[in-house]
Amino acid sequence: MSRILFAASTAVAAGVAFAFLLLPLVAIFLRVPLGDLFSQLGNQVFQDALVVSLKTSLIAHVSVLLFGTPTAYLLARKRFFGRGALITLIELPLVLPPAVAGIALLAAFGRFGLLGDELDALGISIGFTQTAVVLAVAFVESPFYVRGAIAAFEGVDPDLIAAARTLGAGPWRVFGRVALPLAVGGLGAASALALARGLGEFGATIIFAGSLQGVTQTLPLAIYAQLDQDFDVALAISALFVLVGAAILVSLKVFGWARHGSISPFRFAPSSLR
Amino acid sequence: MRALAAIFALVALALPSATGAGGSFTVFAAASLTEVFPKIDKKPRYSFAGSDQLALQIRQGAPADVFASANPKYAQLLFHDGLVRKPVTFATNRLIVIVPKSNPAGLHSVYDLRRDGVKLVIGDSGVPIGSYTRQLLDAIGIKDAVLENVVSQEPDVKGIVAKVALGEADAGFVYATDAKPVASKVHKILLPDWSQPPIKYQLAMVRSTPRRVEARSFLNKVTSKRGRLLLKKAGFGLPPLKKR
Amino acid sequence: MGSARLDITVPLRTFELAVALEVGAETVALVGPSGAGKTTVLKAVAGLVRPSRGWISANGSTWFDSLGKVNRRPEQRAVGYVLQEYALFPHLSVEKNVGFAGGQPRDLLERLGIAGLAKAKPGELSGGERQRVALARALARKPEILLLDEPMAALDPHTRGRVRAELRLLLREVELPAILVTHDFVDAAAVADRIAVLVDGRIVQTGTAEELIAAPAGPFVAELAGGNLLTGNARLRVDGLTEVVLDGGLAIVSTDEATGPVGVVVHPWEISISREEAVDSAQNHVRAPIESIVPVGNRRRVRVGPLTAEVTEASAERLGLKEGEVVVATFKATATRLTALS
Repeated sequence: MSRILFAASTAVAAGVAFAFLLLPLVAIFLRVPLGDLFSQLGNQVFQDALVVSLKTSLIAHVSVLLFGTPTAYLLARKRFFGRGALITLIELPLVLPPAVAGIALLAAFGRFGLLGDELDALGISIGFTQTAVVLAVAFVESPFYVRGAIAAFEGVDPDLIAAARTLGAGPWRVFGRVALPLAVGGLGAASALALARGLGEFGATIIFAGSLQGVTQTLPLAIYAQLDQDFDVALAISALFVLVGAAILVSLKVFGWARHGSISPFRFAPSSLR
Repeated sequence: MRALAAIFALVALALPSATGAGGSFTVFAAASLTEVFPKIDKKPRYSFAGSDQLALQIRQGAPADVFASANPKYAQLLFHDGLVRKPVTFATNRLIVIVPKSNPAGLHSVYDLRRDGVKLVIGDSGVPIGSYTRQLLDAIGIKDAVLENVVSQEPDVKGIVAKVALGEADAGFVYATDAKPVASKVHKILLPDWSQPPIKYQLAMVRSTPRRVEARSFLNKVTSKRGRLLLKKAGFGLPPLKKR
Repeated sequence: MGSARLDITVPLRTFELAVALEVGAETVALVGPSGAGKTTVLKAVAGLVRPSRGWISANGSTWFDSLGKVNRRPEQRAVGYVLQEYALFPHLSVEKNVGFAGGQPRDLLERLGIAGLAKAKPGELSGGERQRVALARALARKPEILLLDEPMAALDPHTRGRVRAELRLLLREVELPAILVTHDFVDAAAVADRIAVLVDGRIVQTGTAEELIAAPAGPFVAELAGGNLLTGNARLRVDGLTEVVLDGGLAIVSTDEATGPVGVVVHPWEISISREEAVDSAQNHVRAPIESIVPVGNRRRVRVGPLTAEVTEASAERLGLKEGEVVVATFKATATRLTALS
């Protein structure tokens, strides 16, 4: 009897969870007639927003990968005084409301911010530019990547690292030929999560970069703006956004599957087997 | 089976009630009323945002009991669609331009906004502050030139205020009442009377509210002598008193 | 030839490890209970652990010297380290694993008999095969010292015997100083030239297996080395058993298969003592006088002829055992283990 109850309870919980998550997504597509959806593809607001979103998210994401991967590697492998504090610092944007992140960015890089004078001297003005969007997106999505990347590197059996070193591998080879290939599954998962978060960023962007079509208006900002003007357009763009996001996630998963033969991006490669 | 039914019942009871009954008295009000409304009546739960946003939410069935719009358009549309009772004008406002205290772009009049490179922030065309701004610029005859300098179109007026107060933008179009809370951080550039669009704030009771008594009481508070005094102190204009 | 010398102190959690060893072109086994610090010694030689004091040198060049402030990084030390459970790179083929330190892996693969597995991944291999890949990989490094951590722990008993013999041969062939860590005395005796017993961070005795068995320095070594290790010549009998004529002349029987010169291992606790030869299933009976009775705790180590038996104090009293008396030491053919000697 308890077995049936357990199976039933988990089935109910799963059913509720799936229904809850899928219902809003399905509802969007039901509200938007398919013809509308395709005609919106030609909407200038949508196209501009799509370009801004893809461009800024891509640049931000690549930067996060480039800087975040070595950072995560360092934090995963070395134990040093203050490590815990540093990790907490990196995770801070996670608990900050995006608006607070936006204000913080203004305080640092804004015209009258901490670096305002220096940037001014270099002739650089970040406010209201696409650079501001990139910074906002990178700031908000980096903890998602770095946390996952740290876990991925920590998941690499230290014995393998030790073996590589005794086999004459210096730090570059250890990283490139052992740590990175073995962590790549977890890194991919963390990357997908961070990319998704970056694409959906709103609060920090609107405060730090503002919202101007074709310049700083990303897809989420465009949807919000269209809510005032034309609810149906907002719906259509939302539906298209769901499709764009799904396409990115699926392609990342397929990439992960092709490399490791497993759909779950959370499978860490085990070291020498028992 | 019995166990499952019991679980369902428990879950249903535990879920916070989605219906209006059992919730608290809620006022949806335009963002420019953020400082003054709680002074008039601190009891209600307030939701401040762009009037267009709030109207949309009320259409979608949000649990508002009273709606205060910065533009008659939204209240009247809801009224004609049968969602609210007849709106009443309770305050007026004017547009001004604010610049950061240090006035980095050296602006002194609205015509200076045509200058190249000025970083101007205005409201989105769907938001009352945005449409009022465009009306005013049109009346002055400099709309196209000034709109070239727009670097951001904000979804609500508080976003404009923030960007100017923080010094990020060179100038922004806001309501006169918005300058007061940030007076120490900004300078005001007044706009000619003849160019001002008629900015009428309207108050309406949501038809489906179960809290009629409280709603009526709130409406009375706002239009009372005390309410009008507080509105005046905050910088709003007042409609002529109706003879009872 | 090669040599390795070390004298190090490493503070561990509950005690301090202080070990000094000199290893020529031979295999020294570090034997001891788990937690004694055996793996730490290997890690220190490899450079993965930094001793608080001491020095380590290989073939005359100093790898570590706490006074002279020398501390070569692991990648700069020519060690061949076979880790416990081998740590083969799971994402690389056998070929790439062995070739990781550089050079052509083919020769080594052939030498270790795994050439056919070149393209396989570690996950597809058996325990014995993985061990050989690990050995090949370590040797590909052209090491000056070989370090092996419990090389046979991950193998099933069936494979162990064969692997022991192969490992012994290989170590003899490469003529490198090798330190082998194990908790199994029989493995150590079979593979190594010398054994150092490590207890609580200190070496309590060093010597050949025979020396340790014959004259254990303390109860721990006695316990550890308990196995009787005799030598003799084996031949297969028609009934499937192996007869071994011991060097002393006695003939005993074993269920293990072997021919030629063998080492015979019988644990003392598997030998029972009686006054008369009993009619029982055991095949091996040795009648000889009692040479000595040594108390070890609540047991008695009784030396009967060439064998050391272990009985309880109570049994010894019950039987009234005395030195000089002739008794019969009995043990079964199944308890008689044979290891190849070359």
